[in-house]
Amino acid sequence: MILTGNELRRQIEMNNIVISPFALSQVNPNSYNYRLGSSLKVYDEQQEKFRSVLIPKKGYVLEPHKMYLGHTKEVLGSNRYAMRLIGRSSLGRYGLFLQVSADLGHTTSCHQWTLELVATQSIRLYANMIIGQISFWHNFGEINCYGKTFANFNMPTEGYI
Amino acid sequence: MILTGRKISDEASKGLIILDPFCEERVTSNSYDLALGSNYIVYDEQIIDPFEKPSFQMKEIPKEGLLLNKGDFILCESQERVGSEHYVPIIHAKSGTARAGLFVHVTADLIDIGSIGKITFQLYATLPIKIFSGMLIGQVTFWVPYGEIKLYEGKYQGSMGPVASLTYLDYV
Repeated sequence: MILTGNELRRQIEMNNIVISPFALSQVNPNSYNYRLGSSLKVYDEQQEKFRSVLIPKKGYVLEPHKMYLGHTKEVLGSNRYAMRLIGRSSLGRYGLFLQVSADLGHTTSCHQWTLELVATQSIRLYANMIIGQISFWHNFGEINCYGKTFANFNMPTEGYI
Repeated sequence: MILTGRKISDEASKGLIILDPFCEERVTSNSYDLALGSNYIVYDEQIIDPFEKPSFQMKEIPKEGLLLNKGDFILCESQERVGSEHYVPIIHAKSGTARAGLFVHVTADLIDIGSIGKITFQLYATLPIKIFSGMLIGQVTFWVPYGEIKLYEGKYQGSMGPVASLTYLDYV
């Protein structure tokens, strides 16, 4: 079952969900709106690696069809619920992907999430803007802590395959 | 928990799920198939700025279909009004649509409980594809919520066609 916004607030008070910093105005009927953190990683095709940039005050323009890594401003996690982190309809309507088919947040992870940003058309992003949403889901079965590979990273972190 | 097709059908007949118009043949084992409407939106901006009101054009899919080229992005309405005050809808492509490389949403599949209106599909083509009004392009599933319900009262409530992003309203 998916938690309603009211239940999400109740579970935060009971310390079963962590959203930090938390703002009541960002609670939706069945999810929470998260903000974009201030650093991005931009892939340098010549060097074949990512380099870090800070989003300036005037914003940072994503080029279409390129992949960038970003992160949530908030620390998000739960020891009790599984999570789904997606974009927001307002940004989906601008063609901005917030992740690349990896929406599942494991129960017991708690960190600033890495976002996989892909723009289908050029878009200017600002640090701190409300950019996506996270929902919380009941588990069925005994909970165990599934590895910690990415669970503690707070900055945008590239993959290791 | 996800609703079965039979449960979707029951709840639609009681008015607890809105799927309008409703066709029994579109009920699948765990979802309801959604048809593409005829109105679509293309943005004029070279660079989108989410803080600014966007300029766009509203157009109609011609009878002979609309060719989307690889990399094209448009917004298009669903034919149906969709929503529920009792369940949480999630939008998906039909597998046939996905196999043609067409996204029907851009990481925004979750509908707020209490939001009732036409879906704005966020169509992004990874291969050239021709789309037609009336084609079955997506599906909607319904999920059981847990906790006290507060209904959606947001800026897209009651959409009767494709709606361009209204995110600039968050910053005025």
